[in-house]
Amino acid sequence: MSDVDLRVDLGGIALRNPVLTASGTFGYGTEFAPFLDLRRLGGIVTKSLTLEPRGGNLPPRIAETRGGMLNAIGLENVGVEAFLREKLPALHADVVVVASVFGTEIEHYAEVARRLSASERVAGLEVNASCPHVKSGGIEFGQNPNLLAELVRAVRRASTRPLLVKLSPNVTSIAEMARVCEGEGADALSLINTLQALDVDIETRRPVLHNVLGGLSGPAILPIALRMVWQASRAVAIPICGIGGIGTAEDAIKFLICGATAVQVGTASYLNPMAAGEVADGIAEYARRHGLTRIADLVGTLELPR
Amino acid sequence: MKATPLRAEALVRESRAEGGANQRLRLFVPGFGGFAPGQFAMLSPGTLGAAERFDPLLPRPMAIYRAKAVEGGAEVDVLYKVHGRGTALLAQARPGERVRFVGPLGRPFPDAPRGSLALLVGGGTGVASLYELAARTQASGGARVRVLLGARSAEDLMGRDDFEALDVELVVATEDGSLGERGLVTEPLERMLDAEPDAIVYACGPTLMMRRAADLAAARGRRCLVSLENAMACGFGVCLGCAAPKAGGGFALVCRDGPVLEASSVDWERLAG
Repeated sequence: MSDVDLRVDLGGIALRNPVLTASGTFGYGTEFAPFLDLRRLGGIVTKSLTLEPRGGNLPPRIAETRGGMLNAIGLENVGVEAFLREKLPALHADVVVVASVFGTEIEHYAEVARRLSASERVAGLEVNASCPHVKSGGIEFGQNPNLLAELVRAVRRASTRPLLVKLSPNVTSIAEMARVCEGEGADALSLINTLQALDVDIETRRPVLHNVLGGLSGPAILPIALRMVWQASRAVAIPICGIGGIGTAEDAIKFLICGATAVQVGTASYLNPMAAGEVADGIAEYARRHGLTRIADLVGTLELPR
Repeated sequence: MKATPLRAEALVRESRAEGGANQRLRLFVPGFGGFAPGQFAMLSPGTLGAAERFDPLLPRPMAIYRAKAVEGGAEVDVLYKVHGRGTALLAQARPGERVRFVGPLGRPFPDAPRGSLALLVGGGTGVASLYELAARTQASGGARVRVLLGARSAEDLMGRDDFEALDVELVVATEDGSLGERGLVTEPLERMLDAEPDAIVYACGPTLMMRRAADLAAARGRRCLVSLENAMACGFGVCLGCAAPKAGGGFALVCRDGPVLEASSVDWERLAG
């Protein structure tokens, strides 16, 4: 429908609507071809890409929890070169592709960012500073403001593409981390990544995951994510992409109201591969019902008690 | 031939207990265009209510037992065992209620070579993966079919009447001896492998059973295919949760590279954990 303008600008990435898919929950996009025309989405964020292919953790890698799930996949991915050679060309030219960048050292992040930036098809980069289940790298960057600053600075130097930084929720002050990224030239922030968590099988007294700790995702984390998006949006001027438990348009609209310019659908795509498309349709419907002509006008309109 | 998977809200036609913890579910899946033996579907853990259901969160992978084309889609049968929250909720399904369905998914069983003897070995819920393979192999006439079904007791045995109706050779083993041979189903398998040089093994069941079938086949130089079961969040290759260790290193995704795999490609030691 052309009656509502759903376009948003996410730190220099022009999106046809504010719905993307979250890194690690959408493969490289092609897996969804039987279910969903990706051109219905604002864009997709790829699985995190590393310099070399990675094999991932020993199973069990996932476990269901109340209203959510734990995962410790271990950042298994095909590596940046195979992505550029095999995965990216398979996507329709009209699909906005944001590439997620990960490394175990700052130089690796920068090199992956450099190689991705050489492709016209990569609309932007999302630095994964927050993956909580890899022993080297990941969590240290996202949890330590100095390391985070150093990381963002290095990737910023390596690429002129729109740069998103995906923040870890496993911090005391999300506002501080948001400001650090803004200060180092990030164009936008994505939050939240999964919450570090644990579950146990009481019959065997073993952790449910081989990795012991995993990241919690799904509807259970939505109110925490919403709180953090709201806090971050008050701390910085750059746009925010809200992530955390979004499975319906209603969920996504809450994030927009709390200050997110766009959102990412994550775990919901597992149980419903059409979820992101349905969220996009539902946002348009909501806008129509509320007489909004531009969805961007909804962003950050939370009414606080006087 | 692999059919394109679809996501649909399936209508419950029939849901009933079948002895032990076994359940049979018949769904009308609109638009369903067929499947190949060994493929599976992701079913929501319980019927969909008036509002979205998010707890239990994840769909459950289930073998497609058989399907019959009807006006506008197909009637798809699923046999499963109640063993947790999701399957307990699914067992409460009543005709007319809706279930979220994604499928058919995964890599099917390859055909048995012409003139061979296909030994289909099923244990527990693994039996459900083998019915369509037995039916189609028998109907094609290209290979002889012998079905070996194992269960703890007669009550736990799945699908026996259906297999009997197929008119294939059927061997049953129960651990308590309440039906057929007493013992594990891999015991008659061993005898048959010794007697039949042209046998090919298709196995689906508990890991220990499949591992034993794989070892027996490998020791005699026979091909063995297994259909693995694993927890998975998506069923189509994106969550990477269903990784199974491969012989020689690395992982196969049970949903995308399997569920049917060459037994020789599986690292059984690491799979057993």
